[in-house]
Amino acid sequence: MVFSSVSFLFFFLPLLLIFYYASSKKYRNFILVIFSLLFYFWGEKKFVNLLLLTCFFNYFFGLWIPKGKKKILIIGLCFNLGLLFYYKYCNFFFNTFSTIFSINIKSLSIVLPLGISFFTFQNISYLVDVYRGQVKEQTNFLKYATYITFFPQLIAGPILRYKDMALEIDKRNENLILFGEGTKRFTIGLAKKTLLANTIYQMYTSILSSSMSSLSYVLVALGFLFQIYYDFSGYSDMAIGLGKMFGFSIKENFDYPLIASSITDFWRRWHISLSHFFRDYLYIPLGGNKKGILKTIRNLAIVWFCTGLWHGANWNFVLWGLYFLAFLLLEKYVWKREKKKIYSIFTFCIVLIGFILFNTSNLNEFFLFLKGMFGVNTPFINRESLYYLKQNSVLLFVSFLGMSPFLKKKIEILRKGKLKKGVEVGEIIYFLFLLLLSTASIISSSFQPFIYFRF
Amino acid sequence: MKEKVFAIFFLLFVFGFAFFSLISKEKSISILERRKLTTKEKVKEDFPKNLEAYWSDQFPFHDFFLATNQITHRYLLQNKTYQNVYNQKGYFIEQNYPLDQKSIDHFVTGIKEIQEKYFLNHPCFYSILPDKSYFLKEGKGLKLNFNSLVENLKENLNMTYIDSISFFTLEDYYKTDIHIKQPSYFKIIDSLGKTLQFIPTKLTYQKNTFKNFLGSSASKMPFSKKEDLVYLENEVTKKAIVKHLEFDENEVYSKEQLNSIDSYNVFLRGPSSFIEIENTISSSDKELILFRDSFGSSLAPLLLPYYKKITLIDLRYISMEKLSHKMDFNNKDVLFLYSTLLINNSYLLKLK
Repeated sequence: MVFSSVSFLFFFLPLLLIFYYASSKKYRNFILVIFSLLFYFWGEKKFVNLLLLTCFFNYFFGLWIPKGKKKILIIGLCFNLGLLFYYKYCNFFFNTFSTIFSINIKSLSIVLPLGISFFTFQNISYLVDVYRGQVKEQTNFLKYATYITFFPQLIAGPILRYKDMALEIDKRNENLILFGEGTKRFTIGLAKKTLLANTIYQMYTSILSSSMSSLSYVLVALGFLFQIYYDFSGYSDMAIGLGKMFGFSIKENFDYPLIASSITDFWRRWHISLSHFFRDYLYIPLGGNKKGILKTIRNLAIVWFCTGLWHGANWNFVLWGLYFLAFLLLEKYVWKREKKKIYSIFTFCIVLIGFILFNTSNLNEFFLFLKGMFGVNTPFINRESLYYLKQNSVLLFVSFLGMSPFLKKKIEILRKGKLKKGVEVGEIIYFLFLLLLSTASIISSSFQPFIYFRF
Repeated sequence: MKEKVFAIFFLLFVFGFAFFSLISKEKSISILERRKLTTKEKVKEDFPKNLEAYWSDQFPFHDFFLATNQITHRYLLQNKTYQNVYNQKGYFIEQNYPLDQKSIDHFVTGIKEIQEKYFLNHPCFYSILPDKSYFLKEGKGLKLNFNSLVENLKENLNMTYIDSISFFTLEDYYKTDIHIKQPSYFKIIDSLGKTLQFIPTKLTYQKNTFKNFLGSSASKMPFSKKEDLVYLENEVTKKAIVKHLEFDENEVYSKEQLNSIDSYNVFLRGPSSFIEIENTISSSDKELILFRDSFGSSLAPLLLPYYKKITLIDLRYISMEKLSHKMDFNNKDVLFLYSTLLINNSYLLKLK
């Protein structure tokens, strides 16, 4: 089930709200787990068992770690990574192996379970945190299941840490103000997904089927980047909003990454929960930057190889990770970092090219795209590209505007001034308007899943 | 405070529509979108996959939300050709772009093969009906090069071309549909008559008007208005005998289709691979084989007074190989009449 669907918005959510708020606090985790499993079942019938199984095993690993220490942790990590390897990377490795050694190995017919990359990482973070003594093991299976299966983040993140949720799983304070904040945040995410990401997708697919010019390639590249940004940050907004509706505070996953002043800054703002995961559970355990330049480079290379591979079992994702590694190393050891607007523009261009690599399936395709974008054997401009630019100029303007906190800051200034009441009324109308337009888009469009579901 | 107020509105919105959805009566068709809606029966076939489609289709004020979505894209986001449709003075024009040379080649090769195989040494004619995008004003959308398309056909087809394009204006088309209004075809009867060698006469027709027509482009514009669909009857059409390959229908105008998903199907019952229309009161012995698309359905009744029999073949639904044994091709006029929409998307035709 996706958040931007009639099934979720008008049936699943109201039903859950009724059951959740009608039951006493004692049963609320149980209600959440049942509905979360139903949510998962809706999209992935046959893997509910797998989800429950991983929950069950990790719950016991968590209980045994304090007694067995490292051995149990290693077993737990092997179990989780083994499952992830089997479902996500098995065929990738077989294919790579068979290409390198020219051996014919038949691909296995394996379906990728929805959200496996996310819930595997959450299980791992829990086991490691228990091992490190940063959190106390959860003795109540239902509470552990609440953490893993919590539907707002189950299939596309953010990757939650148990330590951030533990207190709220035990005791949380649901109230109408928090609920209201949640509904607003959810509505923003819904609008990002339905009005921007889906429309941008339509824009660049139309352009790709037309006669291409350099301008067309630039528009498509912007389309790739904006679609993934509004799709994924929209999903995160909805997850955070839903969390609030049920009394949980989920940490931010995006912080206006497209105005970052450097690639380092970009990765502090983009998919924050994943960056933090790799920092805390891979980079720092490998030694971080404390063992000399060469080892730092090695550690960063491992992290970015894994970051790329996490996004998909394909070499273009690995190259995508290494592409960013190259710029991070340049920034760390060669370029001076200063906070100037010109650096933000430069960073935006690097990210833009990076996401072309993300969206193409091989290097050949990537370089063909770049050639087209830079006008090699391609006209700079043609009738079609001008037409598409004109038709989508407002959409692109809104997309550019939405990538910075400019409007948010302006509204904050107005709110502090004499127009406070007017701004508040205006804000309510604005959110209602977004909700109405998003619903209209859901009713009118065919099913469009979130991009990060496939990871 | 505002958080609380919005929370209440949000709950009212979500619960309100959920409640209305539950109590609303199930609908089976959408006239505006011209399609069958997902019903409970479909949900049973594939649960829960079809449930989203069911809830979405049966959502309260469904058409209002479709219109709202159109307004969002057309007016807020200023995408004037959203879903490939442009509104030019109330006429919804579907863009037919770009010119697909492969499709034209496919069309030419296929028609040539039919001509050589079945109509060798036989007078064959062709005419092209422009789609509405021909009338799109410069700079308002993407418009294909119609001259290039016609020239291409003239160069490659070895049959007589009958001009139709220059006779029509945008007003000859339905506002919400791709087709030409039936009375407007009188504009090309003279031109066709001159080449096909029949003498057009001034005949009296009874004008029947269906007031609630919504064409195929209606759902792509907000708040589309219903328009008139006129079909013309006279003694010839009333007494004609119609035989379809697939159906038992035997009338030129299927009036029960007026209230179906596609009212345009009133003309010869809509999509049909092979139709024979016999003019039972004809004084002529001439016969016509008309290769056509949906545009031909409303033209054929107006040609009927000049022929003893008209055979309509729609190659989208049947290939000539399957038909050849059923037909006698001798001493018949052969006219290929296609719209530019189909020529530019000729893969729909079973030409092999």
